Amino acid sequence: MENIGGLCLILAFCLGVYSIFASVVGAWKQKPFLLVSGQRAVYSVWALVTTASALLVYAIMTDDFRIQYVWAHSNKAMATIYKFTAWWGGQEGSLLFWSFILSTYTAVVVFTTRKKHEYRAMMPWITSVLMFTLVFFLMLVAFVEHPFRILAIGRAATPMDDGRGLDPLLQYWTMVIHPPFLYLGYVGFVVPFAFAMGSLITKQPGDGWIHTTRRWALITWAFQSTGILLGAGWAYAVLGWGGYWGWDPVENASLLPWITSTSFLHSVMMQEKKGMMKVWNMVLVAATFFLCILGTFLTRSGVVSSVHAFAQSSLGNYFVVFLAVGIGATTWLILNRLPYLKSETQLESVVSRESSFLFNNLILLASCFAILWGTLFPVISEAVTGEKITVDAPYFNRVNIPIGLFLLFLTGVGPLVAWRRSSADALKRAFLMPTVGAAIFMSVLVALGIHHVYAVISFGLCFFVTATIGSEFWKGSKSIAAKDQVNLLRGAFELTHRNTRRYGGYIVHMGIVIMFIGFTGAAFNLDRTVEAKVGSTFKLGRYDLKVADMKGGENENYVWNHALIEVRSGGSYITTLKPELRKYAVSGSQTSNVAIRRALNEDLYLNFAGMTADSKVILQSYVFPLVSWIWVGYWVLLIGTLICLVPSKIKLQYAKMEVVGIARQAQPVEN
Amino acid sequence: MRVKLNRWKTSLAILFVATLCVAQSPTAFITTDIRRAGDKLACLCGACKNTVGTCQMLGCHYAAPAREKIAELQKAGLDDEKVAAFFVKREGLKAFAVPPAEGFNAMSWIMPPVAILLGLGGIAWWIRRSRKPVLVDELPAGSADRVRAELDQEMAKFD
Repeated sequence: MENIGGLCLILAFCLGVYSIFASVVGAWKQKPFLLVSGQRAVYSVWALVTTASALLVYAIMTDDFRIQYVWAHSNKAMATIYKFTAWWGGQEGSLLFWSFILSTYTAVVVFTTRKKHEYRAMMPWITSVLMFTLVFFLMLVAFVEHPFRILAIGRAATPMDDGRGLDPLLQYWTMVIHPPFLYLGYVGFVVPFAFAMGSLITKQPGDGWIHTTRRWALITWAFQSTGILLGAGWAYAVLGWGGYWGWDPVENASLLPWITSTSFLHSVMMQEKKGMMKVWNMVLVAATFFLCILGTFLTRSGVVSSVHAFAQSSLGNYFVVFLAVGIGATTWLILNRLPYLKSETQLESVVSRESSFLFNNLILLASCFAILWGTLFPVISEAVTGEKITVDAPYFNRVNIPIGLFLLFLTGVGPLVAWRRSSADALKRAFLMPTVGAAIFMSVLVALGIHHVYAVISFGLCFFVTATIGSEFWKGSKSIAAKDQVNLLRGAFELTHRNTRRYGGYIVHMGIVIMFIGFTGAAFNLDRTVEAKVGSTFKLGRYDLKVADMKGGENENYVWNHALIEVRSGGSYITTLKPELRKYAVSGSQTSNVAIRRALNEDLYLNFAGMTADSKVILQSYVFPLVSWIWVGYWVLLIGTLICLVPSKIKLQYAKMEVVGIARQAQPVEN
Repeated sequence: MRVKLNRWKTSLAILFVATLCVAQSPTAFITTDIRRAGDKLACLCGACKNTVGTCQMLGCHYAAPAREKIAELQKAGLDDEKVAAFFVKREGLKAFAVPPAEGFNAMSWIMPPVAILLGLGGIAWWIRRSRKPVLVDELPAGSADRVRAELDQEMAKFD
């Protein structure tokens, strides 16, 4: 079986190389049979990679511990679903998973565009770029980090009785779906990049590719957002200290392409509606793709230290070469095609929606740069000064909180500024009420005793943005309700359906606002660690916590102990929580299964961290105000994104005003 | 009754084994003073990006002894700066949770605002450039009259 798997990967690599060759030569020499052959090779590569993946999954499911990868990442006691996740739990398997997703995406792109005449010239180049990336990953998986390697002593295969198993921390439901979503996001950004390069190579920087690309970018953005949030949810519920974001280099690596793609999704509107920022969009698409590759490089090279990183390997050098070649070629191509990327229209006023997009892009990219700089700075500093330094969470918080707040402000400003130009009167009408409302809200917060500066500003801005978005929905819905004689809710639905992109986008913004409310709650976290005997009581915030009982047991995978904690507030019983401590039989590692009482105002979070020698429970208890808003915000964001993908009921046409120039001398005008 | 007793015994035995499996040394408690001083120092355990003050890992091999040391130094009358200096002497600059704003490491703080300023400069340049009118040659003599005549002719059709 391992031989068939290995053969599939080598054949996929060879066919991938052939597909690139056939597509490029076919496009160059105008040979249709080569073009068709190159596209069919894409389907063959997909079939081969899928077969290899299926064989690896089969080996994991059937406990084939002759295979080193299966032995290292699975064991007999693991539940079936976690065995399946072992596919991407290690270096080799995750590279195969990358290849599988990319080959699937490539096949989907080739299949869905096969009858679209507008892509006929571009398609061979799009296929080549996609296959070039796939061939790179297939090279790694077929020749460098082979997943079908057999455990052997000398020439004899050495079957093992049982495997080492997946890290117990990863045996949690969000970890089952977190990596696939993140990978779907990472890999998905290759498609917009391929379209961008295809349009550049064929000198067709028109609107066609941008429409398709925007849709792909939006879908992959949703995947990436989901992946990031699932990771945050996992960290919150599993690591035992309630943190959902630790500014770890690998976490940062997932955020960087998300930021640049967010930037692209905004600036692409400028190209669609005004024919502006064509070069900038190319740069953003390319930056997103290369940041995805950089993220993969950081996770796998050991360049920066991270708890999420795979074991150190020689993969780093391959990625450096790929990045260098890719960035070099892309830069050359963009520079070479600059004459084709000229703006069709001009900026008419600084006070306009166009300008707000520019500032939004600037702030998003500043945030991206700050995170990238902070992530790489320890390496840069060590190279320059020879001394190691640390860049921990306080640095990222200090730099990114002001940037994030300004971005939140722009989220509120953007929708209220008109395209082309906004008059002072229009601005006053649009901003007066939200600004006054936010100022009053902030004053009330201060009067209520909230003196955390950033928290007050953040809540104020959340109010401001909510008011601006609310006023947009209110005005539009009211107008439709009056015109069509329907109720306001029906009016809001109709309004959204008429322009799904605009109002879906507002809902996404609302999701971000709700998430910011959740982030801001962290300013008021409470925590207390106690050693308590059964029957004793302690206090945290408004809660009285009593260790009512302690129980233990075991199953074939782990030994467990849990404490029963009675939660009361103001004398009345609220609930009983059951934090658990596990010790896994095979790995010997210990994990906590925290107990959380979730509520919109605050989460009560209990971690059974251990026991003292005299049988006291070591309990870490936390109150996390508003943290649930982060997860609620994610759902709102997802709903908004899905609405954006629904075609609008009314097709809007945007007039592009073109100023071709002015005469050197004034022309006579009759009155 | 006998079955019930056996179940109890089994449960107790499991609880005992489980307790032994997870028994730890008592946790070190953290005071406000320790947290304040510890927030300036990085937890160098390698598993988190927290500070000595905020690391939540019980029995962390770096944060726990570091907190004990901070308490000891504070007891000896050292202020937060001197406590930090002690750790820097022992670990090097990596003991700080954030890069010190001096020498080359100041670049870590300078570059993000510089990037924003450069971006603002870039936007200002782009706006200036895109709003600058493009000068074109004046229209050939009589062309305005010709266009006006054509327009009049077209408009006359609607009269």
